[in-house]
Amino acid sequence: MLWHNFKYSLKVLLKNKILLFWTFAFPIILGIFFHMAFSDIESSEKLDVIKIAIINNEEFDRDMFSKEAFKMLSEEEKIFSITYTDIEEAKELLKEEKITGYLLFEEGVNITVNRSGINETVLRYVVDEISSNKEIMTEFYKEGNSQMNISELKGNIKDISKENLSYTMIEYYTLIAMSALYGGILSMFITNYKLANKNAVGKRTSISPAHKGGLLLGSLLASYLVQVVGLSLLFIFTIFCLHVDYGNNLPFMILLGLIGSLAGLSLGVAVATLIKANENTKTGILIAITMLGCFLSGMMGITMKYQIDKTIPLLNKINPANMITDGFYALYYYEGLNRFLMNIISLLAFSLVMLLLSYRGLRRQKYDSI
Amino acid sequence: MIVFKTFWNVVKKYKGTVILYTVLLLVFGFLNMSTKDTQTDFVNSRPDIFIINKDKDGLLTKNLISYLGENSNRKEIKEEEDSINDALFYRDINFVIYIPEDYSKEVMEGSNPEIEIKSTGDYQASLASRMLERYLQIQTIYKKKETDEENLIEAINHNLKTSAKVEIASSLDTTKTTNSSRYFNFASYSIMAVVIFVVCLVMSSFKEKNTKKRIIISSMNYKEHNRKLLLASFVYSSIAWLLFILLGAILLKDILFTTRGLIYMLNAYLFTFCSLTIALLISTLITDKNAVSGIVNVIALGSSFLCGAFVPSEWLPKGVLQIAHALPAYWYINSNDLLKTIEVINRESLKPILINSLVLIIFSVLYIILNNIISKYKQKIG
Repeated sequence: MLWHNFKYSLKVLLKNKILLFWTFAFPIILGIFFHMAFSDIESSEKLDVIKIAIINNEEFDRDMFSKEAFKMLSEEEKIFSITYTDIEEAKELLKEEKITGYLLFEEGVNITVNRSGINETVLRYVVDEISSNKEIMTEFYKEGNSQMNISELKGNIKDISKENLSYTMIEYYTLIAMSALYGGILSMFITNYKLANKNAVGKRTSISPAHKGGLLLGSLLASYLVQVVGLSLLFIFTIFCLHVDYGNNLPFMILLGLIGSLAGLSLGVAVATLIKANENTKTGILIAITMLGCFLSGMMGITMKYQIDKTIPLLNKINPANMITDGFYALYYYEGLNRFLMNIISLLAFSLVMLLLSYRGLRRQKYDSI
Repeated sequence: MIVFKTFWNVVKKYKGTVILYTVLLLVFGFLNMSTKDTQTDFVNSRPDIFIINKDKDGLLTKNLISYLGENSNRKEIKEEEDSINDALFYRDINFVIYIPEDYSKEVMEGSNPEIEIKSTGDYQASLASRMLERYLQIQTIYKKKETDEENLIEAINHNLKTSAKVEIASSLDTTKTTNSSRYFNFASYSIMAVVIFVVCLVMSSFKEKNTKKRIIISSMNYKEHNRKLLLASFVYSSIAWLLFILLGAILLKDILFTTRGLIYMLNAYLFTFCSLTIALLISTLITDKNAVSGIVNVIALGSSFLCGAFVPSEWLPKGVLQIAHALPAYWYINSNDLLKTIEVINRESLKPILINSLVLIIFSVLYIILNNIISKYKQKIG
């Protein structure tokens, strides 16, 4: 009976194009959008070469130290790209936003910029740095200490930054979370099929002598299978076409995918059994819950996840979309497995609660003859 | 009047779904506005740093920290490695500095103790790193000749005071306009989704087989019938537009009541109208009512992602922007972005915005013509 029911549920699900669109195609389409929108974001946040102009007047010409320093900054360190010009042209370039700012050497250095931004600040810092080095050199020269090479005297800084700092990954993790929870549409659809107050097939199965639990189990297994196939496709697509990094632990990644799907399935069953409404409204509610969950876990801007994690941690602890997202984040960014396992346990607990609630709602549903 | 009324009756039938979508979009829009998004904010050029100081009493350390404090934002987060790592990952901080125990003492004894840092590698972090390097270099240099801690500090601070004069040539404060541009850019998604979703749902109700048969045999001319439907959907989309303007007025306050604000609103209205023409075209094309939400999501999300509603267009890859030219949302968002930086509003500076508006109108007309051709063709088949 279980096998029979499994087979037919599978057929019903695979025939429904709309359901397949939401579980198979939509996440992949969204993934492509993400990729198009985010692929450049992180590299554009690295400091670029800053375009500036220097007014080539007499004072600058005399200032050998600054001249050398700017030459080095543009040729060796590649911080600046410098145009040497006169004041009129520099003003024009600034107005057309072709340069960040221009420097005028007139009783010291004068910087003119369009606004106070990051490139402008870097420009100012570097100019200050040159002036202060110049001051040091003159001071030491006066004291007869001219042999000193200041570029060799440095602080002792060691960079211990973690790798895997690519925050756009979170977007793709929320995509997996969304896809796993959207799987709930499948289980909801198939559960509705078994409800006598929803459709004719439900009436027929209700009066059959078959055990209800067995019937439901067969259907849910079918929807789980479809869901996992959809999620695997998404994984394969994101890994090979979009180059998403899920960390190096493949078995755990698969485990999280499987348990995430289970959470989606249980959510779908719960919405189907606990909410008494027509199917459209149920779908609407399920999509709304999923989207809100994904929003809180950073789909529309990763700052949201961080803010919620920091200020209202409880909200994200009961948000299944965040458990999945955070699980992948833990695999990607953290060395230990504690955080990951915590998320796995939460997801299992969430699924269990949803299924228990649905079970309570479903059992002993009997209909009087009227 | 009957047709007009029926339109609203159908809207009423779907009111649950409509309210759900509208509220969801409004909530997203609202929350999106109220979270501080450090990535798009170019105005703030003080990097966010976090210092873990294990040398509490050292004078040199104190001086270093006060220098960093003057030139960056010192963030307060929990002093746990996990919190620090999270904060770095989500760019709440850009730079972490670990000052070791007895740092000042060791420097005064002539050694060069190691300072560990963690960085996000972006421009803010580069700035913080430059700052720290400069300070430490000056400290190392003056240590060569000063042996007294207080004299050393004085020498360092004296040198750090050298600062160039900076003049700002442009006078527009872009913080406020950045906010309103971001709001209207995000609204492009909401407007598109709400308008297309509802109009398509309602229109497809009129196209159900039995209903359509009844409509065709009625005494009303089909042109008259279509005109009334158009009017009703036009009124509906105007209400949707008004809703977003009202929300905008609450969120953005005074900036909306200026000439600039007026242009923002007009631009949004043009875009709403263009979305309506898209909605009508789609409703002519589709046959299955259940497909509506799928199509709406793909179209609205697609054009929002590709045209810069979610991610500022200056950060999108050039190829993507080229594709985006073919979508109306690109021209709408481009006008919003231009409005952000225009200093004086006059005929000259509004020219590019007028061109964008013209493109939006051309798109709308194109969709209307296409819609007419296709619906005529479909009528013949039917």
